[in-house]
Amino acid sequence: MDRDEIRRRVTKVVCQVLNVDEDMVEPGSHFVFDLGAESTQSVELVAAFEGEFDIEMEEESALAVQTVGGAVDYIAKYVQ
Amino acid sequence: MSATLNRFGESKTPGKTAGVSPLDGIFSPKSVAVVGVTNTPGTVPFDIFYNILSAGYRGTVYPVAPGKRSIAAVKAYRYVVDIEDDVDLAVIVFPADVVDRALQQCGQKGIRAVIVISAGFREVGPEGAKREERLKNICADYGISLIGPNCLGAINTDPKVQLNASFARKMPLAGRIAFLSQSGALCTAVLDYARDKQIGFSKFVSFGNKAGVTEVELIEYLHQDTSTDAILLYLEEIREGRRLIDAARRVTHGPGAKPILAIKSGRTIQGAAAAASHTGSLAGEDAVCDEIFREAGILRVTSIEELFNAAILYAYQPMPAGERLGIVTNAGGPGVMATDAAIREGLLVPRLEESTRAKLKATLPATANTKNPVDVIGDARADRYMAALEAVLDDPNVDQGLVILTPQSMTDIEAIARGVCQIARGATKPIACSFMGATDVAPGIHLLQSANIPHYILPEWGCAAMAAVQEIRRWRQQPLDHPEPLPVDQAAARAVIDRAEEGYLSEDQALAVLSAYGLPVPANHVARTANEAVAAADRIGYPVVLRVVSPGIVHKSEVKGVVLNVGDASAVRRAYDEILSRVAAAAPEAEVRGVLVRRMIPAGHEVILGAKRDPAFGPVLMFGLGGVFVELLKDVTFGLAPIGPASATRMIEHVKAFRLLQGARGGEPADVAGIRDCLRRVGQLVSDFERIAELDVNPLIAGPSRIGNTVADVRIRLGAGGNGESE
Repeated sequence: MDRDEIRRRVTKVVCQVLNVDEDMVEPGSHFVFDLGAESTQSVELVAAFEGEFDIEMEEESALAVQTVGGAVDYIAKYVQ
Repeated sequence: MSATLNRFGESKTPGKTAGVSPLDGIFSPKSVAVVGVTNTPGTVPFDIFYNILSAGYRGTVYPVAPGKRSIAAVKAYRYVVDIEDDVDLAVIVFPADVVDRALQQCGQKGIRAVIVISAGFREVGPEGAKREERLKNICADYGISLIGPNCLGAINTDPKVQLNASFARKMPLAGRIAFLSQSGALCTAVLDYARDKQIGFSKFVSFGNKAGVTEVELIEYLHQDTSTDAILLYLEEIREGRRLIDAARRVTHGPGAKPILAIKSGRTIQGAAAAASHTGSLAGEDAVCDEIFREAGILRVTSIEELFNAAILYAYQPMPAGERLGIVTNAGGPGVMATDAAIREGLLVPRLEESTRAKLKATLPATANTKNPVDVIGDARADRYMAALEAVLDDPNVDQGLVILTPQSMTDIEAIARGVCQIARGATKPIACSFMGATDVAPGIHLLQSANIPHYILPEWGCAAMAAVQEIRRWRQQPLDHPEPLPVDQAAARAVIDRAEEGYLSEDQALAVLSAYGLPVPANHVARTANEAVAAADRIGYPVVLRVVSPGIVHKSEVKGVVLNVGDASAVRRAYDEILSRVAAAAPEAEVRGVLVRRMIPAGHEVILGAKRDPAFGPVLMFGLGGVFVELLKDVTFGLAPIGPASATRMIEHVKAFRLLQGARGGEPADVAGIRDCLRRVGQLVSDFERIAELDVNPLIAGPSRIGNTVADVRIRLGAGGNGESE
């Protein structure tokens, strides 16, 4: 899976879970500061990424990811 | 207590402070942005926003909630910089790791007042401390006044503002008392407690980690706040003790004085026990804090109950002219209990004028007691209570009244409460009540509290509150002095201190330092041989004392390094040899520099003058009686160095054994003025030389004025390096 595909699918998941418009989501977007993620939504995001990419992520390090770009990089390690 | 009259019965003007303060943005903002709001009720980020709305805030509120169109039907903004209008106050509720970004944007937006509610800073360890440092730097860059982080928020009940920028469940009632707290959680308990007792607040703020605004700025702000009469403070940690004390003195004394009542928790003595000097071991943080608060007019109490008991009496009743208490009761037992408590608390229960007693006899039944405490008898109804209370308050020997009621079957509780309220409205003397019990008396208590009449479940609590108000009154009447420097030979002291290494000065060095600062040091000489000791003793005059000089020996008597009352040359020679051999046996590793020969000091009271550096307050002085027993008796007082004559006098007079110095049991009075002078000189010495870590003049032999005082022993411990002199 190439990075553009990962980025596209990460953006889709972020929009669904955080209920934000796609044009708000950029690689540098911070889940909390820019997209308004609440603490419970961080856990939901991790679960949704796992479902979307059919992967199982290490929870603590996954929750430490703070930006959309960071999530793309993190997931890329699992799917490439 | 919700009424909006001040304690003089004047209609208050809504809370404005004189001039413009940076804290106006915190307490009286025209617009507020809540930054990091979520849409989930029951969470801090949502509740803070909702509380501002529901309290009826008179300004404009903007939710900043990225990804949300609105919060509670109010249009939301993605970033604070997106808000088109000016914003006076931002309340940041984001998680800790993004607070710095939000604060940065607040600075860019031109917001100069910020409350950071979020936790996760200094209180959680080094990572959090770094985050807090970043906040401080941003505040410095933009000139932001910051409350928090890690706090409950701020409340202003002023009807023109009505701001509840906190996660307290309810807006408190408006009142004349301001409450400042380092603990956020305690605030919610205090608000609940106060609501039950109908106690209102002017301002209410939890300042958390105090990364920006501290209790010092807050009490100075409240000093100027026309809607505040009394300031209550809950403190866990004092960081800038000197600033706090200086500010408290300005607030509690002089024109426009307001009392500060404080709970300082953390009454620990850890660390004190490890100190080598008497002063170090006695001057635990808590003991020092007690005394120094008193010297700054801060009334220290131990519980929330005590805090409010005193505050409501001060804030809602006139200031009494003195300590004299008139008691009106319908039960003999509680009257006696109240009398005992009053006396114990330092109040007076005076004899009533004959004319008062005649008035009472005319209105009360024959079985009533017309002496103070006045017993109106168990079947008293409102008319009898009112007649007695009026007569007692009219008595020129009475400064304040206490009404005690026990709920007997004939007692018309509500009518009596209304009667007390009616009398209180026109009274120029304070009235407090104790309607004893719980259920039956509740309606009466409610009436009293609604009318701002302090009520105490137990008369003893009322007496304690009255005693606290007396302390406030007496403090205001005391002179506040400024320590003027005394003439000393600083250069001579510096010559000794600069040359000395870290650790204890030898006795001759320490005596030389004290001598340079004008303390009464007896003639002395350090002899290196027995012949030299004899020559010194001949010169000084007999009898003499011989003491080993060794930097490694702090407690000389423990190694038998002291011989007293040596009467002639041969005895000096013998004592010299004995000291050297005994010390060599007891402390073979100690470096002996010689034997100090000094004049034998005439008998007198043994007192200790000490000094140490307190982490919060800097150089602190100690005074006490007892000499070698000082640690056993713990009869000591503390003060800040340098010290003025009035404060030094209070330090001396406040020890329990002061009467001994005054010449109790026929003894000759000691030279108290001389002790005061010594205390001031020690205070000046430790202020001038930052390297002095600890100092004990113990004992100073306090003789009568015709003989004066003499330093019998001294220990001075120096810290490392530096030029010896403080700035």
